[in-house]
Amino acid sequence: MDARQRFGEVVLPHLDDALSLARWLTGSVTDAEDVVQEACVRAFSAIATAKSNPRAWLLAIVRNTAFTWLAKNRPKSVIVTDDEALFEKAGLEMIDRSHEATPEAVLIAKVDSEQLHRAIAALPLAYREALVLREIEGLSYQEISSVMSIPIGTVMSRLARARNLLIQRIGMAGRGKAGAA
Amino acid sequence: MNKPPSWTSREESLLLLNAYLDNELDAASVLDVERRIGSDATLKAELARLVDLRNALSSHVGKERASEALCRRIAAIAEVPRIGATPEPSVRPRRFDWRQLAAAAALAAVLASAGTYVGLQQSASTNEIAEIVAGHQRALLATAPFDIASSDRHTVKPWFDGKLAVSPQVIDLADAGFPLVGGRVDVVEGKPVPAIVYRRRQHVISLIAIPEPGSKDGGEPLAHATRDGYSLLSWPGRDFKYSAVSDLAENELEEFTARWRSGATAN
Repeated sequence: MDARQRFGEVVLPHLDDALSLARWLTGSVTDAEDVVQEACVRAFSAIATAKSNPRAWLLAIVRNTAFTWLAKNRPKSVIVTDDEALFEKAGLEMIDRSHEATPEAVLIAKVDSEQLHRAIAALPLAYREALVLREIEGLSYQEISSVMSIPIGTVMSRLARARNLLIQRIGMAGRGKAGAA
Repeated sequence: MNKPPSWTSREESLLLLNAYLDNELDAASVLDVERRIGSDATLKAELARLVDLRNALSSHVGKERASEALCRRIAAIAEVPRIGATPEPSVRPRRFDWRQLAAAAALAAVLASAGTYVGLQQSASTNEIAEIVAGHQRALLATAPFDIASSDRHTVKPWFDGKLAVSPQVIDLADAGFPLVGGRVDVVEGKPVPAIVYRRRQHVISLIAIPEPGSKDGGEPLAHATRDGYSLLSWPGRDFKYSAVSDLAENELEEFTARWRSGATAN
């Protein structure tokens, strides 16, 4: 099969997925379009290496392209740390705090779209991408692990923490609103 | 770090709870988690919050749609002819490389001499799989993955009947989180066949029904196949062979087929 045909079968059906991931990594659709275009150029030149799961393969390229883009255009948003332990510890403490306060739970069901978008955008990048890959792209843990190049156990903990943070943030925002009213 | 005594198991419970929500646990762990939820009100409340969060995400945060302009720009990268603007013939003429033919002939000779024909049987169904997946892919690239949009099975079923003079079973699975969205006609092995379209979150599931008079669901195990990242699960049904194709995680597609089959047998 020639490269063009392969590109048509492997890349084109997944553009919405590519754009959605890039949108949540870069923060805007316009920037996401640039990232997707750049990623597709890379994908085309590497089309021979496309795996049996082209969607995950393409999303991994989009992710890497987005990180390059972020490092160049939003240097402060990328926390590059080799100290995974420190990072994970911060996450653990967040979970620990969460189970003392639950009365805001009711607010989650009533969250509005804007509030939710803001809460996702405010997540640390590593948590945000795991959440987006699961909730918006619908990838399995196995696929997320291959896209993010992290072990499945780390996928599990990042997802748990991402959701926990979201629940907390929505709760806090809801409480703020209620107090102001 | 200062851990409360129950810390490790609590942390573990939370991870398991998330994996449970994500349908990523094996049967034994599911039982374990359900036991924990049953005996721990905090966990139960935690699960309720996670479910609320998931519902909020699925109703408020959708997938982006690549604009026409972006699709054109991307297609131009490989100068791929645009699919959708002018419908392509469903069955593309195949061109064979003489080397491939020679290799195939050599392989066939080897297999024949060894007295094993098993591998050769595969080609028909491989072709069928390729066509089913290609039909699904084409549908995803079109403006809508269906020709008739309806969440009512009483609309979709007669539509097939009028269009193809066949009526596969159309099962309503909205309660199970697989809403029916419509139907279309695909071409498999040169024949038009009904494709029933369902959704799961942002994912499209095409259920292709290939007429096979006299066939019925005897609880046979699913036939699994994957191609280009799409999973394909097939099973025999009443007068049709059904194949579900989607980019969903395979365990979710299995859940779909299980629910569909039990719905079909009950009908």
